[in-house]
Amino acid sequence: MHTFGFSLRVLWACLKKDLKSALTEPLYTLVSIILPVNVLFLMSLLVISGGLAPTAVVMQDAGPLAQQFYTAMNEAHSFVLQHATADQANALIEQGRVVAVVTIPADFDARIRQHQRVSVEVQINNLNTDFTNDIRRALPLSITSFYAKAEPSVVTITPQEHDAYPQDLGYIPYLAVPILVIGLMVGGMVQAGTAAAVEWERETMKELLLSPASRVAILLDKMLAAFLIGLLGAAIVLAVLIALLGIWPVHWGELIGFTLLILALFTAWGTLLGTWHKRRTPLATLAIGLCVPLFFLSGPFGPISFFAPIEQVIARIFPVYYAIVLLQHAVHDFTLNTQGIGINALVLAAYALGGLILATVVVRRSTLAH
Amino acid sequence: MGEETLRGVQQDSTLADPAVPAIELLALSKAFGTLQAIDHLTLSVRQGEIFGLLGPNGSGKTTTINLISGLSTPTSGEVLVMGYQMPRHARRIRQMLGAVPQETALYEELSAWDNLDFHADLFGMPRQGKKARIMQMLDLVQLEERRRSRVSTFSGGMKRRLALARALLHDPHLLYLDEPTLGVDVQSRRAIWDYILSLKEQGKTVLITTNYLEEAQALCERIAILDHGKLIALDTPEHLKQTYGGNVVELETALPITVADDIRQLPGVQEVAQEGTSLRVTTQGGSDVVPQIITLVTRAGELRHIAVREPTLDEIFLRLTGTALRD
Repeated sequence: MHTFGFSLRVLWACLKKDLKSALTEPLYTLVSIILPVNVLFLMSLLVISGGLAPTAVVMQDAGPLAQQFYTAMNEAHSFVLQHATADQANALIEQGRVVAVVTIPADFDARIRQHQRVSVEVQINNLNTDFTNDIRRALPLSITSFYAKAEPSVVTITPQEHDAYPQDLGYIPYLAVPILVIGLMVGGMVQAGTAAAVEWERETMKELLLSPASRVAILLDKMLAAFLIGLLGAAIVLAVLIALLGIWPVHWGELIGFTLLILALFTAWGTLLGTWHKRRTPLATLAIGLCVPLFFLSGPFGPISFFAPIEQVIARIFPVYYAIVLLQHAVHDFTLNTQGIGINALVLAAYALGGLILATVVVRRSTLAH
Repeated sequence: MGEETLRGVQQDSTLADPAVPAIELLALSKAFGTLQAIDHLTLSVRQGEIFGLLGPNGSGKTTTINLISGLSTPTSGEVLVMGYQMPRHARRIRQMLGAVPQETALYEELSAWDNLDFHADLFGMPRQGKKARIMQMLDLVQLEERRRSRVSTFSGGMKRRLALARALLHDPHLLYLDEPTLGVDVQSRRAIWDYILSLKEQGKTVLITTNYLEEAQALCERIAILDHGKLIALDTPEHLKQTYGGNVVELETALPITVADDIRQLPGVQEVAQEGTSLRVTTQGGSDVVPQIITLVTRAGELRHIAVREPTLDEIFLRLTGTALRD
């Protein structure tokens, strides 16, 4: 009886049962499916909202050069500029609604034409040093950029760019991949964790453990049902990335394969958590609580080789890093480490297997009564 | 295999050999940290027997059952089910075991039919005849008309009956019922008792844990009483009464009498309880002290009523464990 065929039958029976159970709680299942999309929006807002410094510009000179300087600042991708009078600008900075006030003096054009020194007054709200430093960095850049256009004979800039990749990539499209990974992580862990924990909460685990079915078959079932429901969430996230952000993956085959692998990994770890904790309530909190530090730790804005050595070591401990490497290759054809795609995939597969083995050990060690 | 050979158990002929005990516990112990839940428990349940495991809450009944079914592993000692050693042959044992856990462990969001269908697949029942068997079991527990209803809409008694049908579905040799009538109304309790008694006619071995002594008395051929994880008595209900009970003499006098202390001094008297004109005297088993009690009472006053009866299991239990069963 304990043949592969029997295990498959148990797997199929458990899968049918889990899907039927999920359909009896459609709202709960729907929330689980759209959770990765929520994470996508949450993380997008988180990283986008901190990007640009709101800045008031007092234009005391309306000449073409003053206007050109304003344009140079606008193109520095560091400011959200708004015109203001001196009084309005003072009010804005006092109310904390802008980070800086830049005043372009009345004699700006005239002094530039006469090659005289111009004082551009910058008033900074240094409450947040991150924004303050953005202003400090971006303003000299704007000045250089302004001179390159206004006085090309004075400042000559000739870029000598050698691209590592054939295409440039925007901030958001790059960031979309780590966010997709985090969405898969939260969706897979919550769905699988909940499916496993509910068996303990409702004490139906006893029915499963008293059957001749193997522990591995039972846990694989828990993973499989969560995996299928999680796939729906992953498909929605991918659809959002493609339709709303216009991201078109380079390697579709890799994208599908790696998405399945990553979802399998996180459903395995979700099953482990659900089996270990045996309660549903803290799982979503735990998954979301884990995803934020892992997101920032695993190189969401660039390769981890840009990080300090200790940060690189820590990033490599967690599977999120390898998942990002794989999906950046699948979506953008980027190679973020030198280990090769196969090794990165193997590492993830090992993590998934490790999760399943640990969950089996946890079930074996669990006693239902005291 | 060596262990099984020593015990003379043949893998394939085990079930045909009625001499092999259905359950054999050998010096079984289970500790949870410093708490000794089961303490060197040794007992044997015969095939085809309805066996009761009694004890107050925390006495180790459920732990014993978990050890038998492999849900828990012993700290020391051995569990054999139909000659197979747990946990070495856990899967084979589970195939022979039908369980009605205390909490029923039903999927309440699914229908009665879906619960049984799932169980059939979990136990690898042949697809051919599966539906007929499910219908047969639903019919047995009189739930065939509610087969498409969600279990969450069932009463406690209906859930118990469905759990019983599920446990019997794969035709197990050994059935364990953990508090089978807990929280069940009187009518359903009677029906469940009838099902359990009919199982004996089918040659099934039934292990019951219960807090209801009248249930044990009505169903069980033998009873083991556990207290603090130790076996303190094991016998048929009748023998338990004879061995540990003696007689209970209940007397009613016209006026309160003052010879209670004299009766206590009589050899063979175990306990004397007086309340107004009522006197209850418990004697030790086999003792022939009743005539002397009557003589003392009639000398002291007018005797209006006398009854001599066997003790109830509750009284025996109280005597053995020092606590009422449902404490």
